[in-house]
Amino acid sequence: METTPSLVRIVVLTRAEGRESSRDTLDALTQLGGDVEIELVRDASACLAAASGGKVDAVLLDRASREVCAPVLQALGRAGPPIIIVTDDAGEGPALDAFRSGAADCVRVGPDYADVLPVVVLEQLQRWRKQRARGVAERRIRDLQRYNDDIIQNLNSALLVVDRDGCIVTANTTAEEILAPGPGGLVGRSVWEWLADQTPEQSVIGQTLNEGVRFKGAETKIRLPDGSVIPIGLSCSPLGADTDDDPAAGSSGRGAVAIFQDLSEMKQLERQVRQTEKMASIGQLAAGVAHEINNPMGFIHANLFQMTEYLGDLRQAWERVEDLQKVIHDLAAGDDPGAGLKAIRTASDALSATARELDLDFVQTDFAKALRESQDGAERIRHIVKDLRDFSHQGSDECIEADVNECLDSTASIAWTMMKHSVVLEKEYCDLPPIRCYPAQLKQVFMNLLVNAYQAIEEKLGDGGGTGRMKIRTEERDGGVSISICDTGNGIEPQDVNRIFDPFFTTKQVGAGTGLGLATSYSIVRRHDGRMDVSSEPGEGTTFTIWLPFSGPAAL
Amino acid sequence: MRRLGRSDPKRVLLVDDEERILTALCRSLRREGYELVTAQTPREALKRLAEQSFDAVLTDHKMPRMTGVELLAKVARLQPNAARLLITGWSQAVSDKEIEAIEIDAVLPKPWEDSELKDALRKALG
Repeated sequence: METTPSLVRIVVLTRAEGRESSRDTLDALTQLGGDVEIELVRDASACLAAASGGKVDAVLLDRASREVCAPVLQALGRAGPPIIIVTDDAGEGPALDAFRSGAADCVRVGPDYADVLPVVVLEQLQRWRKQRARGVAERRIRDLQRYNDDIIQNLNSALLVVDRDGCIVTANTTAEEILAPGPGGLVGRSVWEWLADQTPEQSVIGQTLNEGVRFKGAETKIRLPDGSVIPIGLSCSPLGADTDDDPAAGSSGRGAVAIFQDLSEMKQLERQVRQTEKMASIGQLAAGVAHEINNPMGFIHANLFQMTEYLGDLRQAWERVEDLQKVIHDLAAGDDPGAGLKAIRTASDALSATARELDLDFVQTDFAKALRESQDGAERIRHIVKDLRDFSHQGSDECIEADVNECLDSTASIAWTMMKHSVVLEKEYCDLPPIRCYPAQLKQVFMNLLVNAYQAIEEKLGDGGGTGRMKIRTEERDGGVSISICDTGNGIEPQDVNRIFDPFFTTKQVGAGTGLGLATSYSIVRRHDGRMDVSSEPGEGTTFTIWLPFSGPAAL
Repeated sequence: MRRLGRSDPKRVLLVDDEERILTALCRSLRREGYELVTAQTPREALKRLAEQSFDAVLTDHKMPRMTGVELLAKVARLQPNAARLLITGWSQAVSDKEIEAIEIDAVLPKPWEDSELKDALRKALG
């Protein structure tokens, strides 16, 4: 407990008679010690004037009449410095009245007055100081609260605090906007209402609450009240004093705090980039594909024409057959066998002559051959168009079971149309079970790598001609599929190897590529929870290896 | 159709990397009376050119390691009297300047019309 304060200012309201009537009070107050400043006033208004301004530590009403005290008590009673009433009335009545009117204390003048008064004043002074300090502290707390609130509400990200049952305790404006809870707001609702096809235990927030797991930038989905499902990026941490000290405890103490963003727009942009990349790679192949369709068209077209001619030849021969038939018929019906037999011979000779002229043996064989070749040609066109259509197809956003070998092979046959002149392609496919994936996206990755490999080979060959080698291999490994594409191209310089997956990094000439191919491929592989690696020997070649887990992208 | 005054049939070299195109070309030209020789690569074509003389060379453009235009340029040097024809699906294969410089007699599209092919050859050889 403090002793004397530094400077103390006390206002004493004395009786009208003057200073001498408060002699004993003033003497008693000198016992306070320290710096005490006393202002003596004679009426209520002077008292109030002196006490206003907040610098006064106590007001003493020294045996003043009730009429004089009343206005002072009324004005300062509850919210100002302590008012101490000195009275020489006997009995409890006056004291009770004093307290009821807002006085802090009451001292009766008696034989101990000189000792009692300083103690009472001191006590009130200290109480008053503590009250003021508390007032300052409370103001400070309010300011801090307002500051924190401002921060939370103005965050661009949505913020939620939930208790250990998932009940929403705090939510900022952005969270209200994204989650659209309707009238009543988010506070008090259960965060589990927004789960999409998950149990609370499976969800990110659930894992944080139950196991104290921290998440940073986890991608997951939520269902809005209108039924729509949106992707969000979510960071979540446990809130609780004990969490760090007692990880074995499991529960999360007070609850969890989550910050999240709506990723819909970003996902849309990602989709657009993927589609643009895909179209860019198709553009690179267009010439090759057109050639692959045009050549079969060339011989199918020519063969159809020839087969029409052959048909004409066969018709001509058939006419001779019909002539012969007629002659035989007439012979059977006629009555001059000699003439008939001669006619038969003539007709038969005519048939033989026609057959020879037209080279019917050749025509018959070649007709069949031309037909077969044309059918093969048509099949080739059908196949390349199908592969191309499969590749261009937007691909649903659904994760399905697919055969990686089939994805790789169909993509390779499209790329082959471009590469066949300068690349020897080796394929080594292992028997693979289906894996969960987005097949259209995987095909895009394969196309990107095949085109890059081809371009690396072309660069190395230069104008010299010759061929390069490319090998595509699949095998089962570590609970997933490993796909490798290696080429004997010009390789990647060591200083570039770490940057090749960076967006817009390219070693090609201006305009020769978007620079987004490998970055897009990398992000697709990551989305599948897979890995992509590269190893390269400058001047010798490069190998890209992709690993994808059978289980597919981790469900969150 | 034989040229008057010449007893030997005209020898025509057909070059295309697609075997079935060569077969189809031979079918189209079967009754024209030419001696038809085929080659599936420019290298093979050059070998044939080294072995015999030809009255005409008809070649595809997009081929491994050497284009038809490049091949015809070589033919112009090796056998300047041989007619030079290009058959191609790629419309931008050869510029007018190149046609003049190498003296290409005809550029045919792929797919080709039977009559167009026969007429072009007759004209080039006639």
